[in-house]
Amino acid sequence: MSLRADPTLISEIERFGAADVSACFNCGNCTAICPLSKGETVFPRKVIRYLQLGLTEKLEASPEPWLCYYCGECSETCPREANPGEIMMATRRWLISRYDWTGIARKLYTSKVWEVGLTLAVSLFVVLLFVLFHGPMLTDRVSLNTFAPVKWVEYGDWIMAATLSFFLLTNAWRLRRFVMGDVRAGPSIYLSEISTFLSHAMTQKRWRECDHSRMHWLKHFLLVTGYATMLILIMVLLRWFQTDGWNVTSLFGYYATAVLLYVSADMMIGRLRKRHEIHRHSHPTDWMFLILLFLTSLTGILVHLLRMGGMPVPTYVMYVIHLAVAVPMLVVEVPFGKWAHLLYRPLVIYLVTVKAKAKSTVEATETVPVTT
Amino acid sequence: MNSEEVKIGVYICHCGGNISDKVDVEKVAEDAGNLPDVTVSRTYTFMCADPGQELIVEDIEKHGLNRIVVASCSPSLHETTFRSAVVRGGLNQFLYEHVNIREQVSWVHASTGEATAKATTLVRAAIARVRHHEPLSLIRVGATSRALVLGGGVAGLRAALDLAVYGLPVTIVEKSSRLGGQVAEFGTVFPTGESGAELVRTLVRDVSALEEITVLTGARVTGATGYVGNFTVMVEQERGDGSTEDLEIPAGAVIVATGSRPYEPDMGEFGFGQFPEVVTLPDFIQILNETRADGDLTVNGKMIRRAAFIHCVGSRQIEGIQKPKPGRPLNENCSRICCTATLKAESDLIEKFPGVFVYDLYRDIRTYGRNHEEIYERASRDGVSFLCYEPATPPVVTMAAPDDTGNLLITVKDNLTAGMEIEVAVDLVVLAVGMEPADVGPLAESLKLPAGADGFLQEVHPKLRPVEMAVAGVVLAGTCQSPRDIEESCASASAAAVKVAGLLTRGHVDLEPYVARVNADRCEGTGICLSQCEYDGALKIVESVIDGRAIRKAVVNEALCTGCGACVAVCPTRAIDINGWTLDQFEAMVDAMCADPVEVASD
Ligand SMILES: Cc1cc2nc3c(=O)[nH]c(=O)nc-3n(C[C@H](O)[C@H](O)[C@H](O)COP(=O)(O)OP(=O)(O)OC[C@H]3O[C@@H](n4cnc5c(N)ncnc54)[C@H](O)[C@@H]3O)c2cc1C
Ligand code: SF4
Ligand code: SF4
Ligand code: SF4
Ligand code: SF4
Repeated sequence: MSLRADPTLISEIERFGAADVSACFNCGNCTAICPLSKGETVFPRKVIRYLQLGLTEKLEASPEPWLCYYCGECSETCPREANPGEIMMATRRWLISRYDWTGIARKLYTSKVWEVGLTLAVSLFVVLLFVLFHGPMLTDRVSLNTFAPVKWVEYGDWIMAATLSFFLLTNAWRLRRFVMGDVRAGPSIYLSEISTFLSHAMTQKRWRECDHSRMHWLKHFLLVTGYATMLILIMVLLRWFQTDGWNVTSLFGYYATAVLLYVSADMMIGRLRKRHEIHRHSHPTDWMFLILLFLTSLTGILVHLLRMGGMPVPTYVMYVIHLAVAVPMLVVEVPFGKWAHLLYRPLVIYLVTVKAKAKSTVEATETVPVTT
Repeated sequence: MNSEEVKIGVYICHCGGNISDKVDVEKVAEDAGNLPDVTVSRTYTFMCADPGQELIVEDIEKHGLNRIVVASCSPSLHETTFRSAVVRGGLNQFLYEHVNIREQVSWVHASTGEATAKATTLVRAAIARVRHHEPLSLIRVGATSRALVLGGGVAGLRAALDLAVYGLPVTIVEKSSRLGGQVAEFGTVFPTGESGAELVRTLVRDVSALEEITVLTGARVTGATGYVGNFTVMVEQERGDGSTEDLEIPAGAVIVATGSRPYEPDMGEFGFGQFPEVVTLPDFIQILNETRADGDLTVNGKMIRRAAFIHCVGSRQIEGIQKPKPGRPLNENCSRICCTATLKAESDLIEKFPGVFVYDLYRDIRTYGRNHEEIYERASRDGVSFLCYEPATPPVVTMAAPDDTGNLLITVKDNLTAGMEIEVAVDLVVLAVGMEPADVGPLAESLKLPAGADGFLQEVHPKLRPVEMAVAGVVLAGTCQSPRDIEESCASASAAAVKVAGLLTRGHVDLEPYVARVNADRCEGTGICLSQCEYDGALKIVESVIDGRAIRKAVVNEALCTGCGACVAVCPTRAIDINGWTLDQFEAMVDAMCADPVEVASD
């Protein structure tokens, strides 16, 4: 069966941030230098080749874009300055939009109007909720739990978490279908490899294999511990965390805030300075994500400080602002944007091992000698 | 033979160890030294080195040698070296005999005994022959001070201009109605981006300004006679009224610059002739140039949105994969210009019609020239999508389904995508056709110009004498010799012009003396020799009346005789011989080799 070339894919992928797909003349230097390309999964040249020819189905089934951590060594080596690392990044954005059945991801990546519009809309919705439904605003002392009772906030959290998980998981299901293709693996194989998924999800340890980016990996790892801490504080421990007094959970809050502020600020500075390959090219969505993350952390700690400083009204206002930043960030980024990679990367590594195992099992059964 | 006593010097070269490792050179020299008339017989490490040559000069002076034999490498390498040493010693250069005991002995024999015996035998034969050598002189003939340039493309024009600047009159014979050849038809040319028509206009303007140059357009060569320095070329020129005029142009030398023509694909080759959307590169260049940028690019009335270019069509053909055209050899060579020309056409297409998507299907990209790689890079940057095919699995062009995105479908196994079979739908297929030599016509037959297996005219030596032909006085310029671009064509044309100027500005030419000579005492004027001679005018029978009796004798025109020897073989009275290669000499050589065979020593 021959594969049909589709010349429109190049301009499509360019809308996701790849500038120079056709500059590549397929020399393969990038694949040779890439510290993560090995064994059955060789990249980035192959991925670029699929893009050049517009082999959409091949690309959708490719795990390779997720195995790249953008250390940038390939881009530094490419004789045509085709920027293979950035092409891989753009391919990941495109893939996120392909997994996403709602079509929202595609809109967010290819239209600034959509990106800013959706963020603002969710923000306004949060503000509107508070305007309509906030509790009594005590002004003699700071009482956040009267203004926004923790029970209601918790309900909101859970509804949001359920909705976002629904989108994220249905997209992940589509990812599974693309990557596995027609290879069938029984539940036992899926179960036996689950530890692969967990260890990669927790540590992103593959990334450490690029020596270039040990520092980036470390910062990214810190960032993930920050997210995880915050996630637990908000989803599980909110009734202690959102206190009007002082609780030991605040200590964890300090840690998470410090990490998130530091790393997001550092990344923004990096993108402005463009010193490292990984920061040299910025898609509008990269900026949007970093700004929202930084503002979420900043407004979070300001809420805390204003409350400790005994300023009731400013605390309430800051709290609304905090949620008007945090909620859109989560809505936009978790199922449709940058955050999705935290799930997709380990998932793909996991599926690749499952697939290999399933194939070798099939081969083993197929090659059983036939006796007559 | 003259009466003076013959004194022969024999020199056996070691050639480092190239000869002496296989041939017992001392033994050969000893054998030679014992032969009658051999005064000196030596061996030396490197005869061609200065001390080796000096040995000859000194021995001539010291021992009064008058015949020299050197047994060494091939005569094409060092015959002239040793001839000049002989001249330095004060002898006539034709009193020299060369024996090749390297290429023909030491390099090709495994056994030392056999190699030594063969070398000894060859040296004995040379000694037998050299004894009969006589002093000869080069044949000096006057030369016509005019060059004829066949073909008025860039190469012909360049050569004519250069010659005129050296002060030589030139006649350009161009078969079409205008000068400039193929270049006049391209829009802009790689790598400079200048207009081809403009380049040609510049050359033509300069040519018309020089009164040394006569241009005959619409002119056809019908035949040619003569030899270096004195050719006569018959030309038939069309006149405005449809009639023709016959001209005879005398020329001291001829520059062949008949150029090339694009390969015409076979019916059905990549769909050519089968689908109107399959065109050749030169045709496409013309279509592109004729279409206005604000219009639509259409071929046969169909709008072009996607185009594919296929490289190496009619070039680099492989036996068993491609079939030669009837009467033509398989073209195994790379046509050299088509890669760069194709990539340039692709960029020109995209830059003029930015909406068009271009595929490039290649075997190798050979943008070899200076500043050609930039053209490849430009095509890449312009968004051309490259696919690489193996010669054994060339792309297949078929008709697409009516609802497809293009009229034609190309299927190709793509090396760049792990050999997967890729399908592209396109509206146009452009075949990057190679170069075929143009038809040189009757001039080639009349002057017996040699051509290579690929049909391109052939030089004497591809590296050491790349401009001259084996036929003295005929030189090559441009793409009639091999595929090349304008720069290379003009460079070879300028080289050809210098060769011709060197030949004709002296006013005479010197020819080798190895031609037939008639012994008038023996010749009975039967004219049998005449019936065998293939070269017009080389031999004739002259009648004269001596003492009241009509006497017929054969007479040789030394300038026209090629020394082939056909006449010698048939003369019943042994009246005709070739200088330096007489029948006496052949007999002496055969005797020397057979009379007393050399024994082969066991290794
Ligand atoms: C598609 C294509 C694109 C090209 N693009 C470029 C480019 O961009 N840049 C570049 O440097 N080169 C290019 N080339 C190469 C270029 O065309 C040649 O280098 C150039 O034409 C060689 O000049 P020429 O004088 O040897 O031969 P020609 O241009 O072929 O001229 C030969 C002349 O001799 C005449 N003639 C032929 N036979 C006879 C005969 N028997 N008697 C009398 N006259 C005769 C012909 O009518 C013609 O006028 C291209 C070639 C092709 C095919
Ligand atoms: S992206 Fe660059 S390094 Fe990689 S194959 Fe293409 S040209 Fe070569
Ligand atoms: S960015 Fe790094 S990991 Fe990604 S393809 Fe390039 S070299 Fe490999
Ligand atoms: S120049 Fe290119 S297209 Fe032409 S024959 Fe050579 S390799 Fe083929
Ligand atoms: S040697 Fe050849 S060319 Fe010369 S006269 Fe005899 S047959 Fe003719």
